[in-house]
Amino acid sequence: MNKISYYNRRFGYLLASPAILILVLIILVPITISIITSFFDYTLIDRDLDKFTGLKNYFSVINNPKFINSFFVTISFVIFVVLFEFLLGFLIAILLNKVTKFRNIYYFILLIPLLINPVVVGLIWRMFLHPQLGIVNYLIGFLGISPVNWLGDPQIAFVTIIFVDIWHQVSFMIILLLAGLASIPEEPYEAARIDGANEFRQFLDITLPYMRPVIIITLLIRLIFAVKTYDLIYIMTKGGPGEATDLISYYIYRSAFISLNLGEAASMSVLLLIIICVIIFPLFKYMNRADE
Amino acid sequence: MNKNSYIQLKELNKTFNETVAVNNINLEIYENEFFVLLGPSGCGKSTTLRMIAGLEDITSGEVIANKINISQLDPKDRNMAFVFQNYALYPHMNVRKNISYSLKLRKVSHEEMEKKIHWVSNLLKIGQLLDRKPSQLSGGQRQRVALGRSLVRNPVAFLLDEPLSNLDAQLRVEMRHELIKLQKNLAKTFIYVTHDQIEAMTMASRICIMNNGNILQIGTPKEVYEKPNSVFVARFIANPVNNILTTNIKHQNHSHNLECLNIELKRECLTNRDLVYFSIRPENFYIEKKNSEMASLKVEILQIENHGHDHLISSTIENNNQKIYFRLNKFHNLIIGESINIYFNTNDILLFDINSEEAI
Repeated sequence: MNKISYYNRRFGYLLASPAILILVLIILVPITISIITSFFDYTLIDRDLDKFTGLKNYFSVINNPKFINSFFVTISFVIFVVLFEFLLGFLIAILLNKVTKFRNIYYFILLIPLLINPVVVGLIWRMFLHPQLGIVNYLIGFLGISPVNWLGDPQIAFVTIIFVDIWHQVSFMIILLLAGLASIPEEPYEAARIDGANEFRQFLDITLPYMRPVIIITLLIRLIFAVKTYDLIYIMTKGGPGEATDLISYYIYRSAFISLNLGEAASMSVLLLIIICVIIFPLFKYMNRADE
Repeated sequence: MNKNSYIQLKELNKTFNETVAVNNINLEIYENEFFVLLGPSGCGKSTTLRMIAGLEDITSGEVIANKINISQLDPKDRNMAFVFQNYALYPHMNVRKNISYSLKLRKVSHEEMEKKIHWVSNLLKIGQLLDRKPSQLSGGQRQRVALGRSLVRNPVAFLLDEPLSNLDAQLRVEMRHELIKLQKNLAKTFIYVTHDQIEAMTMASRICIMNNGNILQIGTPKEVYEKPNSVFVARFIANPVNNILTTNIKHQNHSHNLECLNIELKRECLTNRDLVYFSIRPENFYIEKKNSEMASLKVEILQIENHGHDHLISSTIENNNQKIYFRLNKFHNLIIGESINIYFNTNDILLFDINSEEAI
């Protein structure tokens, strides 16, 4: 390497430094503080970082049955939500991909749920699903079904939350998958028709391989957001009834701002971060392989 | 070549909404011939080919192959091979799988499949590429694989939609030769769509020239070159240009004077016409008088283009101002602005009706 290019490299770093500095300030510093906090006995009542307790927070979190419960509630919530949103979204995207007219109009309609704030979505559905005053119970009354306590029964509440989340987020899947489908060229399908592939084989041998990177990135994004679901729970169930819908983000919020135990909340956040990384790492690897 | 019609198009029509893409065409393609559909973009040649393949629905009319009406059949049941302009390989399958995909769908036995792949890869010299993905191949290699994919099924005819237009010039010449060889070896019917008249002239047994969804002329390369039946064909089959000019005619007894060239022509067809199109190809002009029957024309040189193997000179006819091109295969000391005499045989003049633009 000659002197000029060495100088250029340094100049390049200098130019990139503001961006790197901002990244460090807004991402690395808070994460580091969280990790440090998780090793201390740090509450909102006693806010001195003077009692280093090592892994005590982690042990108490892991041994806490409520945390374990919310961990499994979150896992099943994420699996159901992402799976159904993906299957439903893909199906709708494939059907819409055949519709070439009014594309702008249905794109707009699809965008509407995504434009609504999750808190508002929660409020709307809480009203719809109100056992006595809600329109849902009113409408199913015509079918002869007696009123359902949508958010009051532990099992039903869990399903209800999943349903509302699907209603809110499925458009996201549809729009991304639709964009992916629209970008597949027409010729491979024509070649396959001449080679004798029926619609199903065309889907398996052309659509799916072409869609693989889009599918992975869509799943990845939805997975990360689903693990972090908070607003809906806060508005609709507050984790209840009992602990049936106590998602991990909501549990962390409660331990930080209701139990005021920030050290423990920080250790849970770190655990959550690790869990998310473990889930998405293989997907990332798979995606990079797909790009080759 | 067997002159029985093998693939036949009967009153074939295709309209997209209001637009007519293919207008009531009738066509007979013989067995084992290399048939080229030639025309400018948007002339309906690709649509015609896609209708033969079954990729495009037929608005009305019939496609007949081997005396069977296949108009309503699925593409796969027509047993036609199709080669796309941009190859349309399956990007996630390696070459072997690309080639054998149709066999796999037909549940051909493993040994049979291997035999076919072996045969195709030898024929097209792609044996060393079998385990690569299309993205790891060059344009020429991709085109070979696309050909290979169409070969394995032993189709009744090969339909090729501008297969060489994505290749560079050098490779295009090589692939042209290979395609001619392949067609001879296989002794199969090839229907080849192109907008490139050189491809058409060099490869075709017969050329069909289309424009605006209509067939203008069908003939051997020699026929369409020497006897274009319309101004459009005369202008289109020309490399790089043809001279299409107009002239007034003065009649004296049985001879007719083309004013523009100031020559007498004794052709019956000129009676009762006062204005015609005429054409003389640039290569039919000479700078020396080769025999006493040659007519001369005084022109002023406008521009000299050096094409390496020859020179294309544009000039204007004196006292007329119409542009005329001529080709000289040797370098002559010509100066721009200079007036010279060029010579031609009156037999080389082709005449076209001024209204219908058809040959007379």
